[in-house]
Amino acid sequence: MHEQSLVRSLLTQVEQLRIEHGADVVTRVEVEIGPLSGVEPLLVREAFELLVAAEQDANANSQLRPDLELVIHTVPLGCRCRECGSEWSADSCRFVCDHCRSNSVQVISGDEFRLKNITVRMPQQAEVNI
Amino acid sequence: MTSPIEKTIAVNQDLQAEKKRRAAEQRAAFAARGTLVVNIVSSPGAGKTSLLEATAKHWGTSRRLAVLVGDIATERDADRLRPFTPVVQLTTGGACHLELSLIQQGLGQLPADDYQFLFIENIGNLVCPASHDLAEHVRVALLSTTEGDDKPGKYPKMFRTSQALVISKLDLLPHVPFSVEAASDDARQIQPELAIFSLCSLTGAGIAQWCDYLDAMREQLLAGQSSMQEIPPH
Repeated sequence: MHEQSLVRSLLTQVEQLRIEHGADVVTRVEVEIGPLSGVEPLLVREAFELLVAAEQDANANSQLRPDLELVIHTVPLGCRCRECGSEWSADSCRFVCDHCRSNSVQVISGDEFRLKNITVRMPQQAEVNI
Repeated sequence: MTSPIEKTIAVNQDLQAEKKRRAAEQRAAFAARGTLVVNIVSSPGAGKTSLLEATAKHWGTSRRLAVLVGDIATERDADRLRPFTPVVQLTTGGACHLELSLIQQGLGQLPADDYQFLFIENIGNLVCPASHDLAEHVRVALLSTTEGDDKPGKYPKMFRTSQALVISKLDLLPHVPFSVEAASDDARQIQPELAIFSLCSLTGAGIAQWCDYLDAMREQLLAGQSSMQEIPPH
């Protein structure tokens, strides 16, 4: 689809979360991408690297670290048969039940582009002695 | 003594949640006005504008309809449709699909807001428009006989997220290696609930059945059948 604009809004969201949680820096971003999301993992990675680098060039005080790690979890295309209720992971967009051959199939996962986790480094704090 | 603390924060946020929310809101607003919104998607040249011309001619003045037509450049499609229906040309200047904000902008340029049917003619492209919810109630994939009957399997998301498949240019069938049955079977393997129509916009063959389907979809919308409210239909 349009990985560059999706990654741009991902990075904006990551920065908002960093501020909300009062963190110094974000060290890792984990996303989930499904095969029906219309989003190509390879292009997401490329856009991510380009945009992080561009941010470094544009803003010397950027909170985005050049070594910010991106972890992409690919989500299987999960299907459930409306007839017999069996569930499976499909390896193509042929929606036929493995068990009863029905083609009344519900997609239960695989269309997501989701921000799963971020890992942040919190400000150093003096240890409090009680 | 100081210690850096690293922690992982679970977010689990759909990165398109806000877009989905806006589309659902606009879809409900259309439904409240009694407007059935039909998003027509296809490759360039499959006959989207011809289908809309034939639809408007078939209905004459018996239905209130309007068209928002997307193109990268020129007003050519709007010029073709203007004799039959209110139409707004949305020129994207290069974007390969329409987005909801362009639709909302186009709505403001239509002369009224109480249409029974609003057709959106998307940019000719079987890829990107599949991922953009334009607040439609029905997504219709148009496939012409000259494109080959193997297209549904090659562009699964477009066909998976559509409610209807219209096979166009039926008059060319004797001249091209295209099987209506093979294309229909291929599409139904991806989306078994597709309503499938074969027609020819130039001769009008099959247009009546297509228009009956649109009437039936609007009846369902007015009856508040919720199955039509979500795209994609999983």
